[in-house]
Amino acid sequence: MTQAEVIAQLQTIFDTVFLEPVVLTPALSAKDVPEWDSLTHISLMVAVEKSFGVRFRVGEVENTKNVGEFADLILKRKQEP
Amino acid sequence: MDINQLKSLLLKGDPEFWAQLQSLTQSAHDFGELFLLSSLRKKAHARKLAKPDAPAKKLRLALVGGYSLYPLHELIEHLCELENHPVELWQGDYDNYLSEIMDDDSELYSFAPQVVFMLPAERRCIYTGKLTDPRELVQAEAQRAVDSLLELARKVNEKTGAEVITTNFMLPARHDLGAFRSRTLGSDWAFRKWVNLELGLAAPSYLHICDWSFLAHRHGGLAARDERGWFESKQPCSSALLVELAREVSHLIFSLKRAPKKVLVLDLDNTLWGGVVADDGLDGIELGDTSPRGEAFKAFQKYIASLKQRGVLLAVCSKNDLARAQEPFQKHPDMVLKLDDIVSFKANWEPKSENIRAMAPELNLGLDSFVFVDDNPAEIEIVRQFVPEVTTILLGPDPSEYVGQLADSRLFEPRNITAEDAERTSQYRSDVQRKALESSVTDMGAYLESLQMEAVISEFTPVDVPRLSQLINKSNQFNLTTHRRSEAEVTAVMNDENFIGYSVRLKDRFGDHGLISIVIGEKVGETLNIDTWLMSCRVLKRGVEEIVLNELVRLAKWKNCPRLAGVYLPTPKNEMVRDFYGKMGFTLTAESEAKREFELRLENFAPRETKIKIVRQAYAEK
Repeated sequence: MTQAEVIAQLQTIFDTVFLEPVVLTPALSAKDVPEWDSLTHISLMVAVEKSFGVRFRVGEVENTKNVGEFADLILKRKQEP
Repeated sequence: MDINQLKSLLLKGDPEFWAQLQSLTQSAHDFGELFLLSSLRKKAHARKLAKPDAPAKKLRLALVGGYSLYPLHELIEHLCELENHPVELWQGDYDNYLSEIMDDDSELYSFAPQVVFMLPAERRCIYTGKLTDPRELVQAEAQRAVDSLLELARKVNEKTGAEVITTNFMLPARHDLGAFRSRTLGSDWAFRKWVNLELGLAAPSYLHICDWSFLAHRHGGLAARDERGWFESKQPCSSALLVELAREVSHLIFSLKRAPKKVLVLDLDNTLWGGVVADDGLDGIELGDTSPRGEAFKAFQKYIASLKQRGVLLAVCSKNDLARAQEPFQKHPDMVLKLDDIVSFKANWEPKSENIRAMAPELNLGLDSFVFVDDNPAEIEIVRQFVPEVTTILLGPDPSEYVGQLADSRLFEPRNITAEDAERTSQYRSDVQRKALESSVTDMGAYLESLQMEAVISEFTPVDVPRLSQLINKSNQFNLTTHRRSEAEVTAVMNDENFIGYSVRLKDRFGDHGLISIVIGEKVGETLNIDTWLMSCRVLKRGVEEIVLNELVRLAKWKNCPRLAGVYLPTPKNEMVRDFYGKMGFTLTAESEAKREFELRLENFAPRETKIKIVRQAYAEK
């Protein structure tokens, strides 16, 4: 799976969670999207872990700065046995 | 309907959004799903899409605790709003509950909550000494943990009059300590069990336990916890258990003011026994320890008998010949339920909906206190359609699951079991005998005299508070104002000089009816306003109405009020008392759709004659 493929899959999750359409790009971050508050963030994380079948380690999501880094984290966790 | 259709309703501003949101919420058990629904609800509010039929009044609910209360509060707010009991929430800060409660000037108290939900921190519920310490030492520390929680609840209740709900403590799910964990009171496992048990046993009536330990057990100990969630954002438990916790809290909040169901109506064939008694005969039905299916049916009967023991009335509704239907009750050695246990037995060929409808006036109960169980979907459907007030449970297909289905229905949960609940079946049975006597005596006065009735009238007392609140919250028909009051609110009336409050207990030669009537009056200037007047319909037209009025007049004089004012507030259920004040000699002073107002000037009143002997009057020592 590539970063672009991860972002494409993320796009479908965002389309479900967000009311207003958001177009995902690697540089996009939460502060660019008014609807992406801490509440929506919880919904997103729950949906992402379920959809990709991954479990993030404590504190690591917080350290990603934008959608690109977040997608890379998903890739990294997906590659684990 | 899926989430995208729901979103498009929201984007269109279609009020149908709310009905669909409600139905999706009822079926949602996954945290992600429920949470997403909650965020859509908030977005609907932000877009001013108003919920039709939303009650204007919100219950003021405060959440405090040793955990992050976010997003738990979102789930609670969501579930309450969609159950049509919206709450106005105030949230304490993370782990600030001790000072929020102990500080008289805290925001908690300026919020003036009606219900406070508290989640004490489990990390404070541990034994800090050694595992080998003597039991007395550990026990004393566990008792201190219990006492400090009771003290917090007491303080909250005293300051605000609010009902308090507290969680107890989840138990550990790791193997730590091995088999030794049960051999010392110092392990978290044993210590918390002891604290949970003592807390529940010692809780006063205003304190309700949200049994988190049970919820986690039911959910699965390991799946109940989420260590990452704790370290990242101080979450109290896994998100899946958070959903269960929120559902439990909203359930507890509603049940503070909602009565449990009173009557369980049972089908017979393939419900109480396997097979069809009219076809298979008494020897052919499956019941008892000779087959696994027979055992399952017998276990179901035992569970039903235990419901009866805690005050649920049992009735039968079966498509059968009466004699054939009753035969197993009389002759089958493995029948747990006997004819004596059944307050109304309908076995005929009329539609079940009609039979159940006929039971309501017989037992003087509203149809909404009935639950009907049947294994046949067609019978369930006819009752759903024609008597929608009745709650139905479709049993099956496997009789080994019947007990679980009924036990998880949550329809018969007592808040506080009162001794009188358990007595109810015998009361209703003696009602039937009494009605037989009634039909044999033509002179009503002679009949009432023959009952040898005795009444005890008492001002409100602390020991009666649970029973008073219970009756105030469940009485619908003979209830002039249908003002509901929690136990804390009843206590407030009891302690207020401007209020009088009394109850009537009635006995006759067939049995004790228990506490059957309640009056609350408020002195405003020279008038005593009748805030509440309610009575159990079982004792209608026996003279209780009259002795209650006599007492009301006596107490009005005691309070120097020459005038009584009563109001009738109509509800769908209290039509029977629409003209009650008029019949009791009051004068109609104002009338509108919303209420009818009456007054009685005491100078025009002569005490009513009854056949009831008054053993005691209220405020007797004054």
